[in-house]
Amino acid sequence: MTGMYVLLAQSLNIMLGYCGLLSLATPAFFGMGAYASTLLTLRLGWDSSMTLACATAVGALSGVVLGVPSLRLSRHSFVIVTLSAALLLQIVASNWIGLTRGALGIADIPTARLFGIALEGKSAWLAFMAVLSALAVAATWLIVSSRLGRAMVAVRDNEPLAIAAGIDPLKIRLFAFACSGALAGLAGACYAHYLSFIDPGIFGFSISESLLVMVILGGAGTLWGPVAGAVIFTVLPEALSMAPEVKSLIYGVLLLLIVLFMPRGMARWFGRPLAAGAGTGK
Amino acid sequence: MDASLFLQFLANGLSVGLGYGLAAVGLALVFGILEQVNFAHGEIYMVGAFTLWFLGQSMGMPYWLGYPVMVAAMAAFGLLLAEVVFLPTLNRPFETVILATLAVSIILQNLVRLVFGATPLHIDSPLDGTTLELGGVLFFGQRIFVAVVAVVALAGLVAFLRRTETGRAMRAMAQNKDACLMVGIDIRRVTRITAAAGAALCALASGAMAPMFDLYPNMGTDVVFKSFAVVIIGGMGNISGAMLAGLLLGVAESFASGMLGATYRDGVGFALMIIMLLLRPQGIFGKSVRV
Repeated sequence: MTGMYVLLAQSLNIMLGYCGLLSLATPAFFGMGAYASTLLTLRLGWDSSMTLACATAVGALSGVVLGVPSLRLSRHSFVIVTLSAALLLQIVASNWIGLTRGALGIADIPTARLFGIALEGKSAWLAFMAVLSALAVAATWLIVSSRLGRAMVAVRDNEPLAIAAGIDPLKIRLFAFACSGALAGLAGACYAHYLSFIDPGIFGFSISESLLVMVILGGAGTLWGPVAGAVIFTVLPEALSMAPEVKSLIYGVLLLLIVLFMPRGMARWFGRPLAAGAGTGK
Repeated sequence: MDASLFLQFLANGLSVGLGYGLAAVGLALVFGILEQVNFAHGEIYMVGAFTLWFLGQSMGMPYWLGYPVMVAAMAAFGLLLAEVVFLPTLNRPFETVILATLAVSIILQNLVRLVFGATPLHIDSPLDGTTLELGGVLFFGQRIFVAVVAVVALAGLVAFLRRTETGRAMRAMAQNKDACLMVGIDIRRVTRITAAAGAALCALASGAMAPMFDLYPNMGTDVVFKSFAVVIIGGMGNISGAMLAGLLLGVAESFASGMLGATYRDGVGFALMIIMLLLRPQGIFGKSVRV
């Protein structure tokens, strides 16, 4: 689960931290990936190496499909539309019973089977997710330290100047949306095979809620901040075995406090040199 | 479809639509004047309904007394929201406000879940079961009440914004915050009043509509999305636009659920919103007309 949240946290981090766009569509990509991989496995019997790749591609594609209309909007509308996209998919998943079995959800999803080797037991999953998280962090690092990543930061900090320098903001943001979608789609597929059960609830807001706490408290726009946030906020509630309501309540209070008093997150404490203006967006 | 069925759908849609409009107007007001999106708007609706239930069940207040008490309590809550969220963030990027109000909505939702549990509750109203038949069309008492409350509240709001000094200051702030400072308008006071008025309008809608539906801690989510759809269709921050868009949504939903089936009802708002965003992102009426 921690590994899954590392993927998701980086997915949100690319949007919020590096592009300065508050996207609440992460659960939409996550759910698309989960359903895509599940249905390909159950209906077509594909190997998980294929279904995971497809889930990633579906996530990226969803990012582009959502990005084309929503990125043209004012930034207020953008937030609302990304949130609505997740909710709309939840309605579709609940009502397209022939495909998704509706609100009953899909149970008994087989565990991931990579090139004929099944991932059995917690330790196999732990190793697999550790590798995936490391790859995700590496991929994020590659993206944000490339020309494209620097263009994202440029568009975030000063859009007119970036345009003057020959950067197309729409293309850059679409690319970021696709990366974000790909990571979340992959995370969704892992979630489905790990828990062996999915229902339309995975499109819900609760994932965004945890993610915002992880990414913002960890430090949006830094490479390791969200990773630290993801690890802390999956391990702590487990270790303290909190009731979900109490956990969410604490997350809400934390989020309010961070946003009001500590907009740059924990990363500030470590004196890590932040990219100029990093934070919850400008 | 025969004429009386058509009229029945239309009457249902208009009464529900007036309620949607009333709920969304508070959101439009806060957006138009403060230029801030209040994601906790749906939770004001939800907490209002639960407060009304609590006043009726535990304090024995009749509906007619509990309703105004609840609206006053939610207006006070709006003031609190202004102190905690809107005032400290007046000069911060708008994402800060969105995140802060999201946090407030998470807190409220889970508090209510902890206090009241997840079992759906029901509010009794003296109008339950009363109906009025007019030319073959059946009007339910509670729905007529919703429509009356909505019309009176909106007329009151428009009069307030047009005629009073405070209302004029609110409209001035919607146009230009810096110019307000120059002519000596107290922005902090206007912010407080706007937040309280937005919450009170939402509570009015909540109290009038709550007896028609079950209460559950997630109910605010549905309301806030419908309100977002309404506000986007009508033009962000446009008050009369929000009202008309609310009516439009109510009627469209009524016909969709009557003719296609109830599962399509909740999709209608999203579909309208998406079409609107693709074709005319500034909304039907644009931003220019504020009142």
